[in-house]
Amino acid sequence: MRLSLPLCLVALIALTALLGPFLIHWPYDAIDWNAVRAEPFAAGHVMGTDSVGRDLLARTLVGTRVTLGVATAAALVALIVGVAWGAVGGWCGGRIDEAMMRIVDALYALPFMFVVILLMVVFGRSILLVFIGIGLVEWLTMARVVRGQVLTLKNRPFALAAEAAGARPFAIVARHILPNLAGVAIAYLLLTVPQVVMIESFLSFLGLGVQEPMTSLGILIKDGADDMDVAPHALFLPGMVLIAILVCLTIAGEKLRDRMTA
Amino acid sequence: MTVFAAEGLTVDIGGRRIVHGIDCAIPAGRCLALVGESGSGKSQSCFAPFGLSVGVAGGSAILNGEQLVGASEARLRRLRGRDVGFVFQQPLTALTPHLTVGKMLSEAWRQAGAPRPGRAEMVAALERVGIEQAADRLDQYPHRLSGGQRQRVAIAMAIAHRPKLLVADEPTTALDAVLRADMMRLLDRLRAEEGMAMLLVSHDLASVADHADEALVLRDGRMIEAGPAPMLLRAPTSDYARALIAASPRLTDPPPPLGPVGPPLIEASGVSVSFERPGWRRGRVTAVDDAALTIAEGEALALVGRSGSGKSTLGRAIARLGPIDAGAVRFAGAPLPDRKAMRPADRAALQPVFQDPIASLDPLWRVADVIAEPLRNLQPDLDAAAVAAKVAAALAEVDLDPALADRRPAALSGGQAQRIAIARALIASPKMLLLDEATSALDTLVAGTVLDLLGRLQRTRGLSILMITHDLAVARRLCHRVAVIDAGRIIEEGPMEAVISAPRHTVTQKLVAASA
Repeated sequence: MRLSLPLCLVALIALTALLGPFLIHWPYDAIDWNAVRAEPFAAGHVMGTDSVGRDLLARTLVGTRVTLGVATAAALVALIVGVAWGAVGGWCGGRIDEAMMRIVDALYALPFMFVVILLMVVFGRSILLVFIGIGLVEWLTMARVVRGQVLTLKNRPFALAAEAAGARPFAIVARHILPNLAGVAIAYLLLTVPQVVMIESFLSFLGLGVQEPMTSLGILIKDGADDMDVAPHALFLPGMVLIAILVCLTIAGEKLRDRMTA
Repeated sequence: MTVFAAEGLTVDIGGRRIVHGIDCAIPAGRCLALVGESGSGKSQSCFAPFGLSVGVAGGSAILNGEQLVGASEARLRRLRGRDVGFVFQQPLTALTPHLTVGKMLSEAWRQAGAPRPGRAEMVAALERVGIEQAADRLDQYPHRLSGGQRQRVAIAMAIAHRPKLLVADEPTTALDAVLRADMMRLLDRLRAEEGMAMLLVSHDLASVADHADEALVLRDGRMIEAGPAPMLLRAPTSDYARALIAASPRLTDPPPPLGPVGPPLIEASGVSVSFERPGWRRGRVTAVDDAALTIAEGEALALVGRSGSGKSTLGRAIARLGPIDAGAVRFAGAPLPDRKAMRPADRAALQPVFQDPIASLDPLWRVADVIAEPLRNLQPDLDAAAVAAKVAAALAEVDLDPALADRRPAALSGGQAQRIAIARALIASPKMLLLDEATSALDTLVAGTVLDLLGRLQRTRGLSILMITHDLAVARRLCHRVAVIDAGRIIEEGPMEAVISAPRHTVTQKLVAASA
């Protein structure tokens, strides 16, 4: 119950962001010249409009879509790469493990923001680069967590029993070890998503994320912050959505992790 | 003077009654043994009154004239620090890993309200419980100590404040047979010196009866039988107590019938195994040194040694389930391939059963899939119906209900799980079983029935067995011959009865004495 509540809330937000834009009258990039910086409920804009007269509700819904989409994709990349890397390192052990983990350490040591900004400067702004940049760091923690799990699981008697039953190493990892660490990996996945949301919002806030007129929660918050003194409502809605997503996923992730490692 | 007395003591967990009224009284200097299977409520009955478990105590439990049932947490804490000492089953988890032995000892003193002890006092306390080089041990962390030393430190901590009552929950179950005997003698001596009352919890009636004055047999939270321990051991009145006593093997039992022996099946020679030293230090530690073993068809060989003697390492090296540095193993006349080159057919011929029954089953797999795994690897094209039939036959062979096939390991008892591990080993029709302490994690009664099952299987199937154990009395129930291993070397080998009646080596003599 305590675990499903925050997950349901996030699912609700995601569903609203997915379906919402089809249900409201205003496109996210259309400018309503009659209502610039409109207050909520003015001129048919439920949450008002921004400084160039675009509907804020529509923009928040689309922005949530983008942010959650980037976060989910990056978290999945982290899951796949991290689990594969950690499982190979943990299972093989010895020098292979040593080398693979030193690569992880080296990547950890890179100043992440600096690398992303450098990529942007060299290749120009694109959402693909945001993915690559975020994917580059987010799998590292997952790889370490999974390696640790594999190290303990592979010495459990049931792994030895599987070997005695004639299972090949690949089958032992795929059928005995990975299913048994799935719970922990999913818990860390849930904790990765809010981190990616933060990074994406931060990059967009700096102006390095997605491009106008496409938007994300980070861009909306930045724009809202610029107009905070004249139109505080422009900051309120995207800010609240971001906070709700972060808090819910963090709580769910930590609860699941505690349950798995208890 | 009565130190501890219980009258109609009950324990409830989550509204469910798990102990239904216990009556007992322990005078100073005497020992009461509380005996029962796992789940009989024996640990709960001695921890709940002191507020050390989730169970809620009811009825009456009086320590030194003070009522424990319904006492406040603060009061119980003061009583625990002052009047009661506890010794637990797992010596490693009972010690705090990041504190040195000295720190833990002085903490125990402080809890009792005594002034901080000097180094000399602590050294004396350690020497009293039989720890050698006590001055050096004070600065060491628990992981540097052996299992026996850890339990001695735990005992030193428990008696540091001179408690009136010592509660020992299976203090010897995690130790090998030689250490068990030493530890019980130590507890007897301390009890006599201090005039402590002792509450000893055990699943093995026969092994505690020599050390206890009174015994109380528990089953499903109810008292089955109570009385003076020697009498209870000699002339039990209840069937249950009789079964408990009969289940625990002794060297004085008549030798069991054993099956006929054929030509050699497995011949291992020159086996050596070493491990890299843990931590930062370089170099290797030798675990097994130039060991040789031969087991004939239909023969059971016991590989007996104390913990850390290298017996499991040798068994796993021979079965190609562990590392091996050097040595040749021939199976049925042909050399056995290396660990990585073992094909499913090679594996099927030589199947292991491990010590921890629950941990040796994948927690996510259904019992039917667990048992079928060797078969699926050996004959991948077998259809589902044939697999299911073989699984049902294997379950029947180990005397289990076929309905268990749909359960998962968490819903099994230890005995059921071990039978399933045996069924998994049998399904591929092996020629030989490797039993790695296969019964030492089980209760006496359950271990007895599993041993009977293994003996029957060995005779009916003509299986060869390599049985790794620290307990000669258990090995004798099954094995024709015995090889004694110490510090990685096989020091004595011969027919079981000959070795038991005339052990040559001192280590063997100790093992025989511990099981007598």
